Amino acid sequence: MGNKFNSIWQKYGTLGILILITVLLGILSPKYFLTPNNLVQVALQSSITILIACGEFFAILIAGIDLSIGSIVALTGMITAKMMAWGYSVPVAILVGGIMTGAILGAINGGLVNATALHPFIVTLGTQAIFRGITLIMSDARPVYGFPLEFKNAIAGWIWNIPIPVIIALAAALILSFVTDMTRLGRNIYALGGNSQAAWFSGINIKLHTLIVFIISGITAGIAGVVMTARLGAAEPLAGVGFETYAIASAIIGGASFFGGKGKILGVVMGGLIIGVINNGLNLLNVATYYQQIVMGALIIGAVTLDRFVSSRK
Amino acid sequence: MGYLLEMKKITKKFPGVTALKDIDFQLRPGEVHVLLGENGAGKSTLVKILSGVYEPTEGTIVINGKEYAKLTPKESIENKISIIYQEISLIDELSIGENIYVGKLPTKKLFNMTVVDYKQVEKNTRELLKKVGLNKEPSVLAKELSISEKQQVEIAKALSYNAKVIIMDEPTSSLTIEETKKLFEIIKQLKNEDVGIIYISHKLNEIKEIGDRVTVLKDGTYVGTRDVRDVEIEELVTMMVGRELKSKYMNVGHRQKGTKEVVFKVSNLTRADKRVRNVSFEVYKGEILGFAGLIGSGRTELMNAIFGADKIDSGEIRLFGEQLAIKSPYQAIKKGMALITENRRETGFFPNFEIWKNVSIEPLIKESKLGGIWGLLNRSKERDYAKKQKDLLNIKCSSIDQNITELSGGNQQKVIVGKWLAAESKLIIFDEPTKGIDIGAKSEIYNIMRELSDNGKAVIMVSSELPELLAVCDRIAVFREGELRTILTSDEATEEKILLAATSAK
Ligand SMILES: Nc1ncnc2c1ncn2[C@@H]1O[C@H](COP(=O)(O)OP(=O)(O)OP(=O)(O)O)[C@@H](O)[C@H]1O
Ligand SMILES: [Mg+2]
Repeated sequence: MGNKFNSIWQKYGTLGILILITVLLGILSPKYFLTPNNLVQVALQSSITILIACGEFFAILIAGIDLSIGSIVALTGMITAKMMAWGYSVPVAILVGGIMTGAILGAINGGLVNATALHPFIVTLGTQAIFRGITLIMSDARPVYGFPLEFKNAIAGWIWNIPIPVIIALAAALILSFVTDMTRLGRNIYALGGNSQAAWFSGINIKLHTLIVFIISGITAGIAGVVMTARLGAAEPLAGVGFETYAIASAIIGGASFFGGKGKILGVVMGGLIIGVINNGLNLLNVATYYQQIVMGALIIGAVTLDRFVSSRK
Repeated sequence: MGYLLEMKKITKKFPGVTALKDIDFQLRPGEVHVLLGENGAGKSTLVKILSGVYEPTEGTIVINGKEYAKLTPKESIENKISIIYQEISLIDELSIGENIYVGKLPTKKLFNMTVVDYKQVEKNTRELLKKVGLNKEPSVLAKELSISEKQQVEIAKALSYNAKVIIMDEPTSSLTIEETKKLFEIIKQLKNEDVGIIYISHKLNEIKEIGDRVTVLKDGTYVGTRDVRDVEIEELVTMMVGRELKSKYMNVGHRQKGTKEVVFKVSNLTRADKRVRNVSFEVYKGEILGFAGLIGSGRTELMNAIFGADKIDSGEIRLFGEQLAIKSPYQAIKKGMALITENRRETGFFPNFEIWKNVSIEPLIKESKLGGIWGLLNRSKERDYAKKQKDLLNIKCSSIDQNITELSGGNQQKVIVGKWLAAESKLIIFDEPTKGIDIGAKSEIYNIMRELSDNGKAVIMVSSELPELLAVCDRIAVFREGELRTILTSDEATEEKILLAATSAK
């Protein structure tokens, strides 16, 4: 009995919470919340959270964590902006300044974890500060703006009635979902998260996979940096501060476990949507931002406690 | 005579399986009551009900005249029941002393504050370790111990409760003769103190040595209880298996003499940490080479080094003539090696995977490219690997979609053997492959090893069970303190000779 509930919870728990909150907000704010316009807005607001959460999920999957993603968002956004200011074409700026820089920063994280054998928590706590420092130095702590219109149109525009950031986030989620479920790489990452010693004896190259995991996390943060810059119309040196909280929360609410080896991208996407829906709902209900923080924190603790409680029942 | 405890009509259902059905069981003071049954018969489940891990679905437990529908872990300890689990459950980052006294650290008053009395912990731990024969400082961290040393700490921990009932679930599965002897001495002393012991083991020769009564389970049902004095092992085996099993080591057969074709050769191998020094040996085509030795003699360390899991300092390895320079298990696997590791929980399985994923990981790695990261998965092919091993090794499960943690200990071990068989390697090293495996399945594994060897593979078996080595291997290499002492052929090898080589000073 308890076990059946357990497996249903594992599969549909996050979806259930998402529906519950949506219905609740629909009742509390019937005029505004469930309008097509607002729902598109929710998706748009969630897109960056979903992007970084999908990358963060990989780090959590191997029982690690990536605290530097907020700083990567800022640094990649800044480099992309600078490159455009220096006259590079938009695609080159996005590719090099956003995606490649993200990958390199991720590789630095992964490389440091491998070389120092420190827990990723320590390493990425350090690089979080370092990457932020570099961003501030590069920009003289001032925002950079004034981009070609095609940049904003390409990244922050609309296709039919769908915002492009939403499409980017969903595409990233789809690709990463493919990686986790259909590729050997994905299987190995789950194995590594489940039991790293057994993974080593089974022939999984732990350092290589750790490196790849952090590169993935860096790339998604880099894409998020580009999206963020395009949406704001400026590269802010303090962009992305605290993003890791949202990313971690989405992953954990979506079913990932700090012990590693657990969770699905689909769950993480729903976790990101839950956070987006709640933020949006609280805005509609005129709850001040400060209170939103409290709700968010309570939600993280609540979701994880509930999960523990349900899965420990025998 | 009254009972220390009594279990009446115990039934335990898991989703999809009835692990126990209407089991009656009694324990008298001062007796060793052996629980016997095949892998998955329900032995561990029964004792976990006594330690409060599982709630029985039906039935009652009677202790001191009091009836319980279930025991909580706390009630279990209050009733002076202590247990050594089949799986080692020490906390790696804690010291031996802290592990033993976790949850019950002695305290003292210091300036009116209650603080942990570490002096007391150390003193008590020292005494306990002496009793079980483990020569280690109480402050050593658990992660620095070998698996057999951990097992000894588990025994010490169980003793530390001064329990009236001690449950031992396969306590000797990773102990060698010396440590087992020590344990039996302890058990005899406990019997004199009127402690009741529930003893689970797949080593049938132990029953006659320390058992008083035996209860046999089969597929979760009660078969019968016998006095050890009045029963022959053969009868017990028949009760266990449900049919007659001919001999313990069925038609394994030694190799035809004369083949001197070398399939695997190790020359002057020394580990980077020097725990194995200057080892040379060859494996001939069609033979099974055994490795005997005491705990910590370096057999597992040697195998790990050959397999690239641990660093080597110097030495040469040749597989079918090809010289190999192996730096990681990945490279070893790609070159056709397999190492069935001794410790399933730590180095064997992935607790987050179903049976089929646990099996398919090895063939996947073996055929992969680019460090294992390239390529797509083929679900039906993967499941076929698992199905094949499930049938071959007779893995008891409701389906290959079951999570491996839901299997009985012996069946988990079979999954690990299966994942390496699925990789179809050229050199297969079996490190304690029959640990925790029931008698029928043991002979099946011996037959598989023989078949591999007959098919031209290089087969190595590390085992701490001498009868098994003697029955299965064509030659036996004896290890002592990190060095290879001698290699005996099956004709000349006897238990005495092996023990002598394993223990005598240089
Ligand atoms: N947590 C669980 N969930 C589902 N099934 C379980 C669980 N634990 C045990 N089982 C099932 O109950 C049965 C009995 O398992 P148990 O571990 O008691 O066997 P055992 O007699 O100790 O075997 P072994 O000799 O291999 O240790 C097995 O079929 C096993 O798969
Ligand atoms: Mg068991």
